[in-house]
Amino acid sequence: MSYIEVIGLKKTYSGRFGGNKVEALKNVSFSVEEGEFIAVMGESGSGKTTLLNILAALDKPTGGSVLLRGTDISRIREASLAEFRRDNLGYVFQEFNLLDTFTVEDNIYLPLVLAAKPFREMQSKLMNISQRLGIAGILKKYPYEVSGGQKQRAAVARALITEPMVILADEPTGALDSKSSDDLLNLFRDVNRGGMTIIMVTHSVKAASVASRVLFIRDGEVYHQIYRGGSDDESMYQKISDTLTLIATGGDAK
Amino acid sequence: MKKAGFYPKLALDGMRKNGRLYLPFIMTCVSMITVFYILCFLSKAESVASVRGGDIIQSMMYLGAWVMGIFSCIFLFYTNSFLIRRRKKEFGLYNILGMGKKNLALLLLCETVITALGSLIIGLAIGILLSKLFELGLVNIMHAEIPYSFKISLPSVTKTVWVYLLIFFLIYLNALRQIQFSTAIHLLRSENVGEKPPKGNILYAVLGLIFLAAGYFIAITTKNPLAALTLFFIAVLLVIGGTYLTMISGSVIFCKILQKNKKFYYKPNHFVSVSSMVYRMKRNGAGLASICILSTMVLVTVSSTTSLYFGMEKSIMQRHPGEVNITFSLSQDDMTPEADLLLDGVRSEMVDFTKSRGGEVTNLIDYRCAYVAGLLSDGVMETDYTAHSMDMTTDINSLYECFILPLEDYNRMMGTHEELTDGEALLYAVHGKYDLPTLTFKEGRTFDIRKINALNVSGESAVDIVPSIFLIVPDMSFALDGLDRLADYNGDQMVKFQWNYIFDCGLPPEEQQQFTDDLTDILLDQNLRDRTVQFKVADITSREAERYYDYALNGGLFFIGIMLSAVFLLATVLIIYYKQLSEGYEDQSRFGIMQKVGMTKREIKKSINSQVLTVFFLPLAMSAVHIAFAFPIINKLLGLLYLNSRAAFMIATVLSFALFAAFYVLVYRITSNSYYKIVSGAKEGKS
Repeated sequence: MSYIEVIGLKKTYSGRFGGNKVEALKNVSFSVEEGEFIAVMGESGSGKTTLLNILAALDKPTGGSVLLRGTDISRIREASLAEFRRDNLGYVFQEFNLLDTFTVEDNIYLPLVLAAKPFREMQSKLMNISQRLGIAGILKKYPYEVSGGQKQRAAVARALITEPMVILADEPTGALDSKSSDDLLNLFRDVNRGGMTIIMVTHSVKAASVASRVLFIRDGEVYHQIYRGGSDDESMYQKISDTLTLIATGGDAK
Repeated sequence: MKKAGFYPKLALDGMRKNGRLYLPFIMTCVSMITVFYILCFLSKAESVASVRGGDIIQSMMYLGAWVMGIFSCIFLFYTNSFLIRRRKKEFGLYNILGMGKKNLALLLLCETVITALGSLIIGLAIGILLSKLFELGLVNIMHAEIPYSFKISLPSVTKTVWVYLLIFFLIYLNALRQIQFSTAIHLLRSENVGEKPPKGNILYAVLGLIFLAAGYFIAITTKNPLAALTLFFIAVLLVIGGTYLTMISGSVIFCKILQKNKKFYYKPNHFVSVSSMVYRMKRNGAGLASICILSTMVLVTVSSTTSLYFGMEKSIMQRHPGEVNITFSLSQDDMTPEADLLLDGVRSEMVDFTKSRGGEVTNLIDYRCAYVAGLLSDGVMETDYTAHSMDMTTDINSLYECFILPLEDYNRMMGTHEELTDGEALLYAVHGKYDLPTLTFKEGRTFDIRKINALNVSGESAVDIVPSIFLIVPDMSFALDGLDRLADYNGDQMVKFQWNYIFDCGLPPEEQQQFTDDLTDILLDQNLRDRTVQFKVADITSREAERYYDYALNGGLFFIGIMLSAVFLLATVLIIYYKQLSEGYEDQSRFGIMQKVGMTKREIKKSINSQVLTVFFLPLAMSAVHIAFAFPIINKLLGLLYLNSRAAFMIATVLSFALFAAFYVLVYRITSNSYYKIVSGAKEGKS
């Protein structure tokens, strides 16, 4: 049994009066092993974000299932869903989604506070993570007082602090300049090497080239995938570019 | 393209889409216009004018209408700027899409015109429909009757229209100002600009506490009603200032302290609410203070006017102990036992006349007295204010009125056989205490005192605002020796002499006024005076007539009190509602994030409850404290209006607070619901 298993996932959005059905996901199946770093690529509207939202249990699939270590997340009752998400999933957003009413420190504490963890435990976890992510110096600041890169690090810290099963990242470099993007990707790689499973949706070839496997989604289906194997970032980058060109020119080969 | 209809359509559309904001606003406008019209209408209605005391009521209504107008202006101004703030983003978008500031101004104009016309038409329609009902209610409260006819007062309609058109015009100018001075980007972003958490200013918090303490101190230490009159406003201002300062900085400091307490702060239900309150504290504090002040106003108005109205019967009985109350003024020569025999001629005249009308003189209070005012301290009464710069207005707390009665009048009235020698006196203190063994007139004699606990006295001296002392002496000329030589600035004798004759006439209430009027004529007959003593009728009142008058006056006050309170209450609710709404919108994205991070709906609801609870019950609690401290001073002030029943006022206060609190809880339920709806609406937010 795989760590995460996605089987025949389907998601149909219908218009307000039942008309205008849009199939965001037709039939998506793949599996993820523990410790993998997967990038999901595709054009706008290909269903990437929908896929991530379903993985994060923020959205319910129309058909198919997602098994996290054997647990079907679409079967979890609404009431315990938030708790499940809090304990098992770490989410990193493009827009950081830090709360500006909290200091950076409190933002990172948020999931632990919600899980009603004792303050001592929270503190020691934060010490660990903030040092690793290099944000120890900005903990007392408010989000609007720090740079985009620092915000995203704080968001990553928030995702990591619960020691989740998997980190889900939605365009994490989307709002960052290239230097900050590089830093963040290196951070992701480090975290991944530490054993964390990561699934990242991205547009950026550069971001994807850090991953150990890249899934291409097109028209609601997994169209292609590339394994890093032994190749380095540069040749990975090349492979991804080639594939994207192929998709863009409408090649049908699998 | 039809251009003419474009802006009105756009305006109407925008308002409909923001119905949650506009509907309450328009409803408030409507109710304010309704109340304004009704007050104007009543201030001109003939039916009210025809009631005795109606002219006073009408001038009160007139005043009430202006209070209403000014309050509407301030309040609608405030709420409208809130509306505009919420819509800045929309306007920014229009701006970017190519609408100039001029077009926006036109759009705003359309909106204002729609709001103004809509609320004026509906408000006036409701006002006209309800005016008859309120007229009936008012006249009923005043215990009078009116003919049934339905009227629309055109002058009142025009006045209402002009006043509110002016208010709407001012509101429009203000909205224009807000749009004019901001760029498109600024407009677009205005909603997202985060406020820096304010630093808790200790100085302000301390200052606020000092203000509050000073206000409270004045309220509880002021003993004299006349002093209360001036000090009350100072106390009110201090408390208002104190409330704002403590709520604004005090609440910041309070939340900071909560945040410092890690064990408290890092709990799921405290974490979110405390942090978001710190963040918006400045505005929060001001809003809470406004709610608190408005609630206090409502409570004070309702409790005092209600107790005045319902305590009226007791106050009437106190002020007019008999159905007929007569005060004659006499001269010093009429204070002798011999003169009293002459007065019997007047007495029998009154008794006979009452009998001739089919009534009977009963419950008689009949005594002569000399009276003088002075400053009393340490058993010494100083009455000669012409002697040196004695200022009776500044030494108001030691101002007393002293009534000196001949012993024979006392014995006759009370049916006793007390005996006293010169230099002795019986003493009865109406308000305040007198525990010393002697009483000395600085300009006259000294008396050894024996206290008595009951005395039937005239209503005027019983409820007088200034505390009174009654002295019963065996010989008036001995007792007044010295005092009787004093003269006031006009050269008149400072000590005055009077004879009180108070009785029930045993006639049906509706005949009593006529009876009193006829009795006055008899007493004014020169023949009677020639036969007896040269008295003057200083005052003659019929309790029934006074009751009629009192009901008119206090009923009118009660009516206005209730109406204005209703409006203040509405304003309070609206402030709370908008506060919840605006915070709901601001919190929407935040709760969206929290849901993604793993907060359950239940936790969100919990956190909302703890926030909303604080926002709600802090002002209520504070206004309860205000009321408690204001109680003594307001009680004194009511004394000026002849309400001397502490119990009645207490009951009215407690009852109105209970009612208010119940209403408050209801509002809480409703607003926290709409807040929750807004907040949880963010669930589908895209990442």
